[in-house]
Amino acid sequence: MASEQKDHTVLIITSMNDRLKINKLYTLSSEKKKFVFNLPLKSSIRIGKRDYPVQLKSDEKFGTYILWKNRKYPVEIVRSRQNRYEILFNDISYTFTVETPFSMKRMKVIDSVKGRSGQETVKAPMPGKIIDVLVREGASVLRGEPVVILEAMKMQNEIQSPVNGTVIKISARPNTNVMKDDVLAEIKVK
Amino acid sequence: MEKMKIKKILIANRGEIAIRIMKTARKLKILTVAVRTSAEPNAMYLSHADEIFDNTESESEIPVFLDIEKLISIALQTSSDALHPGYGFLAENAYFAQKCLDNGIIFIGPSPDAIYKMGNKTIARKLALRSGIPMATGSEGNIANSEEAVSIAEKIGYPVIIKAASGGGGRGMRIVRKAEEMEKMFTIASKEAEKAFNDPSVFIEKYIENPKHIEFQILGDKHGNIIHLGERECSIQRKHQKLLEEAPSCALDKLLRKKMGQMAVRIAKAVDYFSAGTVEFLLDSDRNFYFMEMNTRIQVEHPVTEVITGIDLIEQQIKIANGEELVIRQDDVKLKGWAIECRINAEDVQAGFAPDPGKIEKLNLPSDKYVRIDTGIQEGSSIVSSYDSLIAKLIVSGKDRKEAIKNCKMALDKVWIKGTKTTLPFFRLLVRNQKFQEGSFTTAFIEKDLDRYYYNSEYEEMLAAWLTTKLFVEENLQEKNTGSDDGMKEEMSPWLLNKRITQF
Repeated sequence: MASEQKDHTVLIITSMNDRLKINKLYTLSSEKKKFVFNLPLKSSIRIGKRDYPVQLKSDEKFGTYILWKNRKYPVEIVRSRQNRYEILFNDISYTFTVETPFSMKRMKVIDSVKGRSGQETVKAPMPGKIIDVLVREGASVLRGEPVVILEAMKMQNEIQSPVNGTVIKISARPNTNVMKDDVLAEIKVK
Repeated sequence: MEKMKIKKILIANRGEIAIRIMKTARKLKILTVAVRTSAEPNAMYLSHADEIFDNTESESEIPVFLDIEKLISIALQTSSDALHPGYGFLAENAYFAQKCLDNGIIFIGPSPDAIYKMGNKTIARKLALRSGIPMATGSEGNIANSEEAVSIAEKIGYPVIIKAASGGGGRGMRIVRKAEEMEKMFTIASKEAEKAFNDPSVFIEKYIENPKHIEFQILGDKHGNIIHLGERECSIQRKHQKLLEEAPSCALDKLLRKKMGQMAVRIAKAVDYFSAGTVEFLLDSDRNFYFMEMNTRIQVEHPVTEVITGIDLIEQQIKIANGEELVIRQDDVKLKGWAIECRINAEDVQAGFAPDPGKIEKLNLPSDKYVRIDTGIQEGSSIVSSYDSLIAKLIVSGKDRKEAIKNCKMALDKVWIKGTKTTLPFFRLLVRNQKFQEGSFTTAFIEKDLDRYYYNSEYEEMLAAWLTTKLFVEENLQEKNTGSDDGMKEEMSPWLLNKRITQF
């Protein structure tokens, strides 16, 4: 145990039930921003050359919050599924996936294949229900063209194509529920 | 001073405005009656009333605040001699105001005739035209079909806007930029108008591009005296829903204020207006202004005017309803300092301002001397989908606009709400936006000038990532390993207590 801490290795049981000895985790935002945390996870965050302690606390007046640099930030878990989390932090929600060095490697391989082919995905910006799919596979779409109608909180939202291109795959099915960031369609960039 | 005939007021409303009215009534030593509904049987406004009428057993399909017969009968049963409608619901229903009068109940608002004339946009347009009020050119009255619309549009020039005659709140409105779009837009606007207002009639006028929304607060008594209390700037809106209002507006100088104020008073005179009212104008980039509509009620954003004039508008409404003459003359009205109101709503700014109803679990609001809070929500209250999503109005003042914005920035960081998502991140962005600080924004600001709707400081995302990682580790770490680190285990406890994870 002690030796594990020394070389920063922690035994993790992933959702796949693999037993892995790992020394760091990659936490990726939905905009693909990468945060790397060494294990065991420290209760401080380094900015420049200084470590600033970060604490997760809870009390009657404020509920659960993070205390950092003498400021409190309200936090809440909105939902989680396997390695994916939606966190409410200071009234803003963030979606992250947590990857081990192994799963990270796997993802990079997949990404590089996708990258070469010039693909973009249309993702659900919020959880909701698919009302209608407006394009067919093979159709060409323009940037800003509505692809899917997603109903959330009784409001219908047009989900638009981020690029000019050709629809190569539609994963959205009418009358099904989707989670935030679920892939609705894939578009080959023109 | 005239004797107060009003002894007891039935508040035909809920939430913060019910409390706002009850506070002034108490100051004037008038009793109040509130209505308890099954939608919110424990709402905060009930604790401010002298008397509660319990309507929770009602099996009516119509919500009580929209039920004219029921409200009249409650007023009579509780021997209320007056009724205050607040805003929304029946506040601008001429028939309701008339029904109150017919039953000997004083309606705290304008005459049914004024409500009717201003509520019908085509009548209001004609009145304004006759009074020489500047207006966007448009159709004389309602238009019958899209062919007629096209022929008028060709005369006044595109773009034009189709509006519902009985409209308001942005519904039944469509902008048309070319003739080919007219038929489709005419049908949509007319259908939307029929659905929302039971009246499909529409008219068209020239569409003013990128205007500022400037409105004037009016006060009139039953003796023919009408004054204005300056303007409010309400250009920060999304889909015609106001989010932030301020008073005064940095777009007006003394001369323009005087000119617009005179016009506002003139349109109010055209309907012999009494009580508090609001005249809305559009102001274009060349400082031309156009009459849009008059709202014949107390407005959500009335506090910013109260802050800079020192006048209690609800008190004025009650005294006017009592038949008293206005004590304040136009020359007495002095605008002092600056006030900004942020509507903190239970909405998800990351999902297009979609309502996010839920239970307010924690609520901490600032109490600095430059802050006024109008709210009907307390810890444990629920934002229910049957009513609006307003949690609190944060009203901040300063000696000038710059100071008010600075104070607003500080106050926003002191508001602590847990349980629903709110519009707070939007306001945090707004007070840091250069265009907002300069005051050069228009009603198109949110849709055109912002590429995101929320603010987070530099390290917030990283802290959120740390938290996520911590959570992942806690869930996946092998048990015997956690035992080795007691400090971590202790820190985990808040999660275990508060975890509200939705497992898919």
